[in-house]
Amino acid sequence: MKEYLGEFEELVLLTVASLSGDAYGVSIKENIEKRTNRNISLGALHSTITKLEEKRHLKSWLGEPTQERGGRRKRYFELTHEGKVALHQMKSLRDDLWKLSKATLSLSK
Amino acid sequence: MKSQEARPPRLADQFLEWYCGHASIEDLQGDAHELFFKNLKTMSKRRAKINYWKHILSLAFSYTIRKRKKKASYYYLSGSTFHPAMLKNYLVVASRNLVRHKFFTALNVLGLAIGMSISLLLIAMLSFLWTYDEFHVNKDRIHRVISISKDGDRNREFASAPAVIAENLQHEFSDIESVVRINKFSTNVVGDGSEIPVLSYFVDPEFFNVFSFPLIKGRGAIAFKNSNTAFLTQHAATKLFGDEDPIGKVIDLSNIGPVEISGLLQDPPKNSHMQFEVLLPYQLLLSLPQNQNILGQDEFWPFRNSYLYLSVSDHGSIDQLEKLINKIPASVYTDKENYALLFELQALKDIAPGRELTNQIGPDWDYPALAIFMVLTLLILLPACFNYANISISRALKRMKEIGLRKTLGGQQSQIFLQFIMETIIITLIALFLSFYIFTLIREEFVSMIVSAESLDLTPDLRTMGGFLLFAVLVGIIAGIVPAIYFSRLNPIQALKSKPIGRKLAHFNFRKVLIVFQFALSLGFIMGVVVVMNQYRYSLNYDFGFDQENVLDVELQNVNPQLFKNEFTKLGSVQSISMSSGIAGASGSQPVWVKNEAADSIEVAQMFIDHQYISNMNLKLLAGKNFVDNKISHKAVIVNEEFLKDFHIPNAIEAIDQTYFIDKNTSVTVIGVIKNFHYADLRYPIQSFFFRFDPEQFHFANVRVASPDMASTLSDMERAWKKIGEEKKFMARFFDDEIKEAYSFYFAMVKICGFLGFLAISISCLGLLGMVVFTVESRMKEVGVRKVMGASVWNITVALSKDFVKLMFIAAIVAIPVAYTFFEKVYLTMQQFYHINIGAFEIILSLIIVFLLGLITILSQTIKAAKVNPVDTLRYE
Repeated sequence: MKEYLGEFEELVLLTVASLSGDAYGVSIKENIEKRTNRNISLGALHSTITKLEEKRHLKSWLGEPTQERGGRRKRYFELTHEGKVALHQMKSLRDDLWKLSKATLSLSK
Repeated sequence: MKSQEARPPRLADQFLEWYCGHASIEDLQGDAHELFFKNLKTMSKRRAKINYWKHILSLAFSYTIRKRKKKASYYYLSGSTFHPAMLKNYLVVASRNLVRHKFFTALNVLGLAIGMSISLLLIAMLSFLWTYDEFHVNKDRIHRVISISKDGDRNREFASAPAVIAENLQHEFSDIESVVRINKFSTNVVGDGSEIPVLSYFVDPEFFNVFSFPLIKGRGAIAFKNSNTAFLTQHAATKLFGDEDPIGKVIDLSNIGPVEISGLLQDPPKNSHMQFEVLLPYQLLLSLPQNQNILGQDEFWPFRNSYLYLSVSDHGSIDQLEKLINKIPASVYTDKENYALLFELQALKDIAPGRELTNQIGPDWDYPALAIFMVLTLLILLPACFNYANISISRALKRMKEIGLRKTLGGQQSQIFLQFIMETIIITLIALFLSFYIFTLIREEFVSMIVSAESLDLTPDLRTMGGFLLFAVLVGIIAGIVPAIYFSRLNPIQALKSKPIGRKLAHFNFRKVLIVFQFALSLGFIMGVVVVMNQYRYSLNYDFGFDQENVLDVELQNVNPQLFKNEFTKLGSVQSISMSSGIAGASGSQPVWVKNEAADSIEVAQMFIDHQYISNMNLKLLAGKNFVDNKISHKAVIVNEEFLKDFHIPNAIEAIDQTYFIDKNTSVTVIGVIKNFHYADLRYPIQSFFFRFDPEQFHFANVRVASPDMASTLSDMERAWKKIGEEKKFMARFFDDEIKEAYSFYFAMVKICGFLGFLAISISCLGLLGMVVFTVESRMKEVGVRKVMGASVWNITVALSKDFVKLMFIAAIVAIPVAYTFFEKVYLTMQQFYHINIGAFEIILSLIIVFLLGLITILSQTIKAAKVNPVDTLRYE
């Protein structure tokens, strides 16, 4: 793997993928909060998103102005090909480790 | 609660907007707002507001904002908002500006055109050199063997290599497809009574397979099996036979004998590093009596004019091959101490332009010379670019309102940046036309100034033209970048107020440095001209160690020397006549390698003379005897003092009767010692030299004349010549003229230096003019006030000019020591042994020229300004 993918970064990437086309700041934040039951600040989320954009795992564009945000536009995010590759690599790494450590990890003892 | 009251805290928004400045945060703020309204549904207004603050603060410290702020701080370079429609507007505005300010447009175009013209020469030259040897079909496989000889601490690098190793190469290395031996040989085609020199190569038959020199007529390589055959190039065929078909004709070559022409070749292209007129079979060279030993092991070392080219099958094995080849000399040079010979393989594409080597086969283009030329080009081009930047910024006042308005209406920094870059490119493109015109004017002259001139073709082709265009755009960007950044950063409020920018002219110091630099450069070039001119004069009047007055050198052109002597001694004005193979002090002679039992071989220059030469030239014999008439001895030599030093002979008497070897079969004995004199021109030091006596080699008759009426003497001589010279033209020149001719290379240097100096000083004067005009314009009110207060025209002129004159003084102080050291150390090495030192005269003369031109430039503007009626300038105050 060329670049290290952090735990939160992976979470954000997967959430963006799951939102397919409707991923923007608030929707990502709410989705993660709902699933993980933890509080995320906007600053932390956007910092991570910016870093992911720098790594070229995410791309973004500005949407149309909406009434509910006082005429401000939303910035939508989408996975790039590199982003998908990074996630796949992460997953196969995990799968390998899981396969190897199946016995030790077994909960039913 | 009412919905109007439920809005995010305004203070938080204002804080974030203030904190982020130019950076765009619309989407982030939107996210925060959306969250706020969602939170309102689940929690109290107060909680929601606190939550909102939290998010805003977390954003403020986030990496995202930091990055966006950073990006925003130089977004005029990122140019994200570009509208093609604006291009048209830029073009229109640019052309209007150019037309309105005709004076400055002309100044800029002229300066850039002058600066670019010499670069065009460089581009055309590089583009031509790029194509060197590209026409060979096998170009990637051809390599040349070059030799590096290490003799004690003397390293010499030759383009040539001993022919004898060809055998080894052919048989021992399977990677080598074929080996071509080439021997360069200057010979003459002997016709009835005339000799036409031709440049010929002896080559192996493989030559035609390895290189791509196409045949027009003839049977190609097969014909070379027969040793008495020759191939002519088109050029040589026309030279010898006119329009007739040369095939089957027999020509007589001096020192070689008759050969039959069996092939006609196309002329080697100008971009070939091999240039020849006649190709002869290598077999013929070997069969000549004087070359019997050329392949013997004893003859290993003299590899002058002998070249080896290989065609290699596998590209990757060059290093290995090189190692193997270097095993050959180790087995051969066992007897020589401190001597080593290394071979290297040089790929065809590295030959020209390539490293500096001795004994090149054809015209050479070595890297150091090209680098010097490049530096000179930049020295001319860069000041022109800076001038443009200077003048543009000086004129900022005129464009202030426009830029202010553009910015107020939403013009971004990036757009204004682009606009000014485009304006500059338009100017450089216009300058390119003028520059191209200058280029066509100076091209021929320039080509003739360079040594290997006849092999240089600077006619621009399509690719070169493309290069010119690209270059003009590049110059536009380089010249335009400083003004473009400057203008794009202007504050619109200040710009609209037309606030004078003199106060914060950060560039002012830079410009002063520029003016100093330019004048220092001009001073350097002009000093170069003066120094070279002086050196030329000095060389002409130099005491060569022999009597050069009133000696007329007549070309013998194969007339029997004795016959000539008989006829010419009859003339009353002729005092004495001697014969020689060359002209002392003017032409270099072909050196030979001489050795004795004890010493290593030493390069000795030689000249063939008769018994009267020494007395005729007033040379001083230190010991021994002169040659004796009628007793021609090929073995007798008269050596100079330097020869004694080289062979460690303490005094002249001891040298007499010593024997030396020129080659295996020729030995010579010293019969006399002569005082040192300049046998070659002053660029070369006096080294080992000897006279030999051989009427076969006489080319000149040195006729000493004493006559008040030179014209009638000459016509007398011409009449005498008619009797003996058959139909040939009488060719005689005074020794002084020969010397002048020998130093004509100084004229080439004066031309180059003068031309560059002219360019440099034109550019610096244009730059100075721009700056003076700017300063004068911005000080017009001050001038008005001074005048009202009673200052005279002279006072004001001095006040305005003072600063610039000061700059020129600084330039002189900087330039003189640098130029002085440069010319002393570098430049005069061309004639390093016998030259004059640079004195006050040269320096003062160059200073006067530069100051005169500079002062004219300055005063032309300041006097005009000083004469302006104060009413005109103060009217609006």
